[in-house]
Amino acid sequence: MPRIQDIGAFSAVRESGLAKLMPAIPRLTVGMGTCGRGNGAEEVYHALNEAVQRSGLDVLLAGVGCFGSCFQEPLVSVRLPGCPLVVLHRVQANDAGRILEAISTGAMPPDLIYCKIEEWDHITGFVKYGQGYPEIAPWNQIPFFKGQKKIVLRNCGLINPSDIEEYIAVGGYQALYKVLIDGRTDSVIEQIKASRLRGRGGAGFLTGNKWDFMAKAKSDAKYIICNADEGDPGAYMNRNEIEGDPHSLLEGMIIGGYVMGATEGIVYVRAEYPLAVRRLNRAIEQAREYGLLGTNILDRGFNFNIELVQGAGAFVCGEETALIASLEGFAGRPHPRPPFPAQKGLWGKPTNINNVETWCNIAPIITRGPAWFAETGSVKSPGTKVFSLVGKIQNTGLVEMPLGTPLKSFIYDIGEGAVAGRRVKAVQTGGPSGGCIPVEMLDTPVDYESLAQLGSIMGSGGMVVLDEDNCMVDVARYFVEFTHSESCGKCVPCRVGLNKALSILNSITKGNGSSEHLVLLDELGRMVRECSLCGLGQSAPNPVLTTIRHFREEYEDHIVAHRCRAGVCQELALSPCENSCPLRMNIPRFLELYQEGRLEDAFESVILDNPLPASTGRVCQHPCDNRCRRQSFDEVVNMREVHRFLADSIYQSDLFEPMLERIKARKLAPTGRKVAVAGSGPTGLTAAFYLAMLGHDVTIFEERSEAGGMLRFAIPEYRLPKSVLRRELDLIEGVGVKMVFNTRVGFDLPLNELASAFDAVFLSIGTWKESWLYLPGTELKNVHPALPFLESVARHDQVSMGARVAVIGGGNAAIDSARTVLRMGAEATILYRRERKDMPAIDEEIQAAEEEGVRFVFLAAPHRILGDADGNVKAIEIVKTRLGEYDKSGRRRPIPTDEVQRYECDSVILAVGETFDVDFCRASGLALKEEGTIVVDRFTLETSRPGFYAGGDVITGASNMSNAMSGGKQAARKMDERLMGDSLSGEQRWESLFPDFEYSRQAPGEPSLSRRHTAHSLPAQARAHSQDEVVDGLSSQEALEECRRCLRCDLRATASTH
Amino acid sequence: MSNPLPNKTISVRIDGELVTAHEGQTILEAARANGKQIPTLCYLKGLSAVGACRVCVVELAGTDRLLPACTTPIQDGMSIKTTSAKLTLYRRMAVELLLVERNHICSSCVSNSHCELQSMAQSLGITHVRYSYNNPRLQVDMSHPRFVLDHNRCILCTRCVRVCAEVEGANVWEVASRGIYSRIVSDLKDDWGHAHNCTGCGKCVQACPTGALAEKGQSVHEMVKQGDAVTRLATQRAGQASGAH
Repeated sequence: MPRIQDIGAFSAVRESGLAKLMPAIPRLTVGMGTCGRGNGAEEVYHALNEAVQRSGLDVLLAGVGCFGSCFQEPLVSVRLPGCPLVVLHRVQANDAGRILEAISTGAMPPDLIYCKIEEWDHITGFVKYGQGYPEIAPWNQIPFFKGQKKIVLRNCGLINPSDIEEYIAVGGYQALYKVLIDGRTDSVIEQIKASRLRGRGGAGFLTGNKWDFMAKAKSDAKYIICNADEGDPGAYMNRNEIEGDPHSLLEGMIIGGYVMGATEGIVYVRAEYPLAVRRLNRAIEQAREYGLLGTNILDRGFNFNIELVQGAGAFVCGEETALIASLEGFAGRPHPRPPFPAQKGLWGKPTNINNVETWCNIAPIITRGPAWFAETGSVKSPGTKVFSLVGKIQNTGLVEMPLGTPLKSFIYDIGEGAVAGRRVKAVQTGGPSGGCIPVEMLDTPVDYESLAQLGSIMGSGGMVVLDEDNCMVDVARYFVEFTHSESCGKCVPCRVGLNKALSILNSITKGNGSSEHLVLLDELGRMVRECSLCGLGQSAPNPVLTTIRHFREEYEDHIVAHRCRAGVCQELALSPCENSCPLRMNIPRFLELYQEGRLEDAFESVILDNPLPASTGRVCQHPCDNRCRRQSFDEVVNMREVHRFLADSIYQSDLFEPMLERIKARKLAPTGRKVAVAGSGPTGLTAAFYLAMLGHDVTIFEERSEAGGMLRFAIPEYRLPKSVLRRELDLIEGVGVKMVFNTRVGFDLPLNELASAFDAVFLSIGTWKESWLYLPGTELKNVHPALPFLESVARHDQVSMGARVAVIGGGNAAIDSARTVLRMGAEATILYRRERKDMPAIDEEIQAAEEEGVRFVFLAAPHRILGDADGNVKAIEIVKTRLGEYDKSGRRRPIPTDEVQRYECDSVILAVGETFDVDFCRASGLALKEEGTIVVDRFTLETSRPGFYAGGDVITGASNMSNAMSGGKQAARKMDERLMGDSLSGEQRWESLFPDFEYSRQAPGEPSLSRRHTAHSLPAQARAHSQDEVVDGLSSQEALEECRRCLRCDLRATASTH
Repeated sequence: MSNPLPNKTISVRIDGELVTAHEGQTILEAARANGKQIPTLCYLKGLSAVGACRVCVVELAGTDRLLPACTTPIQDGMSIKTTSAKLTLYRRMAVELLLVERNHICSSCVSNSHCELQSMAQSLGITHVRYSYNNPRLQVDMSHPRFVLDHNRCILCTRCVRVCAEVEGANVWEVASRGIYSRIVSDLKDDWGHAHNCTGCGKCVQACPTGALAEKGQSVHEMVKQGDAVTRLATQRAGQASGAH
């Protein structure tokens, strides 16, 4: 090919390129970036090549770069002459035949269709592929691409990166031509300045100013460097940019070289990017061949060379002075600035260093002008930025968005939220030296200043999404481990400061943290940030400082309570199931004990961890299921049903009495201390049980005439038979807990009286107030709040409700109410404003309600209740909702539409949530939070009044049974520590409650291959009108097999020593 | 760094006091010329400055960043603070970090009471350290006939590296590896005694601020260094090179 020397030659190359990009024959392209190859793009390419040859069709097959949607790779595009480009996703090699067939018939394989592209703005050029395929969604209607603006990635995934003619076909090297013909370097710098383009490597310095310094520097030699030493874990923007469109980078550098008076350009790229290196080398070769690089470029007398240097992979070499040291053959250690590289850089000469992405922005700015560029993005940060969106998110890939876009658009619109069943907790931006931004702050616009304000950085564009399975202390530890090992060691703060920060973080994650550690860590972080020599040290503490700032509670959990909620820090958890259980039940132990045929021991293990095992065995939300590792193999172990089985086996046999004696034998000697517990719900019962076991004299004061709280009065008989609850209460009373009924603490029995008669008081009065919906019509007869409704039914009181009942809500109370309505012979319809998957109720319960014939209307928000002349309910009107943006709970917010629907009904049950008793809290005289709940210490549960403790729903808001019980357990332990003096003996007293069971610590050689056993339910017809318990437990054989399915995560592999 | 030919005079403020400095001077040089003391550890007059120990950081009005006085050129109109609660805290922390990094046991050190690290810790009022000691097990290189290199006492100030390269011109020393694993090495990581280019001049020993480099035959407390001699030599040489006296 002759060198391009004039516009005529340029046009000829352009025509030739267009003939390849939009040939008169079908064109097939395969996404051959590293992401595509990792997913099998090479096999697809070869299969397509073979298929083309076999078919004898005239087809042009080419490889292209990454189109951004890495989670859909391998991508194949098909373009028939005159038709749109059709993008196929998740293509496998064996789809080749079908694709070839599609080429001849024009009908694309429906299961492979991803989107279509009718026209494309290459910024430097515009391509119209053609129109058609109305049934296929245009690319920018796909959620992942909606809102993206491709400037840097303008050619990626569309042109063949190994063919300079295709780059020229879409307007490539036109900007260079323009600059060289004009010959006015100062006007180019003015344009870059006017665009306010900021360095995309992370620091965000104004590129125009940097160019200006360099252009003004006087020297016999000057150098231009492209920093492609991308080393952040989880970030691969630069790699894909080079792989997909290397000429865009070269063009930017050649323009820069001309404008700043340099004759040498160097691309410093990681050796770990072999494909990028290969494509770049090929591009340099081609640019030389076409007279766009080397001597006498475009016949304008300008000489400029670009050389590629491969870095050996030190992270610090991304720092410009270290990069220069590395280029000069020294170890990659930074130098203090000033002097800045623009004054004294490579070989002591003025040097300009810009990131890959900065260079890729140059040609578009020259072509379309600075005003066009500044239209996109925010005022201070114009243009776009490419991010690699990775981590715990549905859609992963390269995303190019206008700067200033709120973080939540990335997470929820582009990324479409967390992976199923999880919630996003935080986003880590800027790689290992960035910070963690909590989900509450996702409204933050992504630009240099806003991220810095939250203690994070833009960095080169890494964006790692973290969910509730990520421990923030561990995240900080991980990143510090990285920067610590990448620290060059030159300056003291970074070398030793990070070393000490890492050792403190290691201590905390191992459970050896102290509160002084937090102070030291914070101080160290600040010192390292402010005193370090280069950017690595100055930003390395960001993960620590931001997690301390935004997730301090997680640090405190690790330090004070030795608790890692995410279950990541191994030393703090026995097993994933134990860690997820609010009561921290030693689940593998009771499974193993029962498997060894030791029913009594297994039960003792259960009851000492959880004093209401038969009730929790029926109604617990079983968070253990979410964590069980067996799910990666087949299905989770049915732990809840096993402990229900164990409890039922004891309670329903003559083993009960001997077992009670055995438990009583474990009681500590009487202490002579008296403790009052207000409320006999699960929290109060749990606290009372442990306090009694610890030897205290415990009295429960209960407002109602029977014990059990919500278990007795809110959970219906068919889920938790009263006879089962009775046995649990027998056991708790059996260990010495006294109960006084019909006494409302704070009213019938003033707190001061309690204070004088008891050494400590525990308040666990629950959340019995139904939240009220302020709708027109709630004053009508037969509008019932759910809890009083359930309570009346439990008391066998008469409730008038008619034949058709509407239940508003989506929680367990709504489901319980609806199923209770069925059992009373009426019809039940649940109206819920979101979708089924958003319902907070236990999934099995929703399913059971469906089976029994409860009707569900989703996306229905109550509008008003209509009554007749007598004030009776006759209908309810609802507004249909549609799901809008994601809210902080990670669910889409329901937005009312104009559509109103009417349902005829005779009564309405409001189950929209329970709240605490404001009257009690106000009357208590204790310090209250803004919303009116009692203030307690998070760890000791002590209130503002010494000796008074509070726990359960009254503190946390309406929760579930096991969470409520955990409050009681925690309070009992802390009250005992306080009552019995110093905490060391308290610790020993608590530990002494639990026997040291001897059981096998051998991992099962071969875990049972049996499938999960679920409990049997009565048939829907038979149960829907009966109060009989719906779910029958496991049989002993099933329970045994379930125990054998446990993988014994509680056992740690230890390396054998010789 | 210092230039024998006085450059253009400029006015700066140091700790509130308006003083005169010369263009081309660093903040440290300007401060010292005006009788202001800024603590330093890795800096040795006569050698190039590297800004490694960060003990000489100062505050500059108008910026949040702390600047190392030894490498930052002074500019007209700068207002510098050489002492503040924050600077004292950070200087202390830098020395504390050095004290826990390796094994600085003064009672058994040849440089006890003649050690710059020790006197720095004393002048900063460090009575104890708040971080856990690393207690690394490090080598002592006894292979040289006249000198000893004890890595346990090394603070990686690189004065030895610089004096050998810049004054003696022998380039025996370098820093190998990185981060917390950084070590001073002689030759191509050979024993010092086998380093062919070592002239045995001992300038590195005199430049070393601690007991890391010492003469053989010295016992606890006996190793008195002559850092000034290195400075004298280096500045004389710089003077000769530029033709001034």
